[in-house]
Amino acid sequence: MAAGNLRDIKRRIKSIDSTAHITNAMKLVSSAKLRRAKATYEKVDKYLYLIQQSIEDVFKKASDIPDEYTKVKAHVNRTCYIIITGNRGLCGGFNSSVIRRALYEMQKEAHEEDREDPVLVTIGLKGKEFFSKRGYDIESEYLSPPEDISFVGTQAGSKPIVDMYREDKIDKIVLIYNRYVDSFRQEVSVKTLLPFVYAQAESETKTERKYIEYEPSMEEVLNYLIPKYVEVMIYGAMIESATSEHAARRMAMENASESAKDMIAQLNLSFNQARQAAITNEISEVVRGSEALK
Amino acid sequence: MSKSFRLEVITPERLFYSGQAELVIVKTDSGEEGYMADHTWAVKLLQPGQLRIQEEGADRKNMKYAAISEGYIVVEDSIMIFTDAAEWPEEIDLARAERAKMRAESMLQQIRPDDSEHAKLEVALHRAINRIRVKGGGNHLK
Repeated sequence: MAAGNLRDIKRRIKSIDSTAHITNAMKLVSSAKLRRAKATYEKVDKYLYLIQQSIEDVFKKASDIPDEYTKVKAHVNRTCYIIITGNRGLCGGFNSSVIRRALYEMQKEAHEEDREDPVLVTIGLKGKEFFSKRGYDIESEYLSPPEDISFVGTQAGSKPIVDMYREDKIDKIVLIYNRYVDSFRQEVSVKTLLPFVYAQAESETKTERKYIEYEPSMEEVLNYLIPKYVEVMIYGAMIESATSEHAARRMAMENASESAKDMIAQLNLSFNQARQAAITNEISEVVRGSEALK
Repeated sequence: MSKSFRLEVITPERLFYSGQAELVIVKTDSGEEGYMADHTWAVKLLQPGQLRIQEEGADRKNMKYAAISEGYIVVEDSIMIFTDAAEWPEEIDLARAERAKMRAESMLQQIRPDDSEHAKLEVALHRAINRIRVKGGGNHLK
């Protein structure tokens, strides 16, 4: 009996140990990937910010803007949610918190009048699986692994979304993704991409210079910039989400390795106790046996 | 030497160029246009094409060439060019560009002009030709 117990504990220690090896290896891989992703993110973030600034600037300095894009529609009938998750699990609450937030946002608006089913665009396998299993209508998806996102690659995905907006099939575009705060913290962020909200120039009296020449025309320039804005935002969010994913996975794996260590320590203790108990048992049996022979 | 201005060329992926320039030539919808310092403020859309930069102090024969994708130019006191992608001649893989050109050409022959893919292929073809040209021009200048 005692020997069987010992063997059981031994087996558990072994299995936990091999799991710990795997989680530790995954942690190292994630740290390496995180380092690379972070470098990309930090670099790209700067330029994306410049582009966003410039787009806002063009809007501010334009004399009059067709309000097709900027006007908040009186009633929103149909919202498009762009949900960015990872392709793989084992990264703590990374995927589930985005999905939970998306569901919450959808439910919040769902009971309003004349509300039509939301249009979903999922980026990443996990979100796609979740929502398609539950019968949501997924308009389009994008599944390339987060390591090799290129701007040109994401463009193909974001163009149809803007087209739908322009054709009035959707009235609002909301982006939900994991924002990267630092290596230990990622936050779910919800951003409204369109209608385009920008900080209006503080006072009209300020003699800010306006653009004089547009080519081909102001409408065309703005019509070009708005989809660009959406593309840039989606691209930036994907890069950021990929960085968050690696950070989240690294954390999850670190925690798993820690827990494994704790469990092994605990099991070692029980193992030693059981072994000691078995030895004590044997000794007392021997002693009792020799007592009986006297 | 003419007056110089600050020029920045930015893609979503990197800061492609930053420096003082005397002249920058880009391809707008109406054709190639050059900008110098003190130009009227303007916002213009750019077509995929060549970007030429005459840096401060350089003469007109020694301009920097690059292939850029579509984008827009913002002319203020400084000039900013935002484009989806940009490449210096030395970054262009000539063999790849040639292959892309051949592929686009053969595809274009197979489909009818009213096909929705046609416009896309034409853009791809132009892009490939543009890159080949920039690569050639860059070599020629050296």
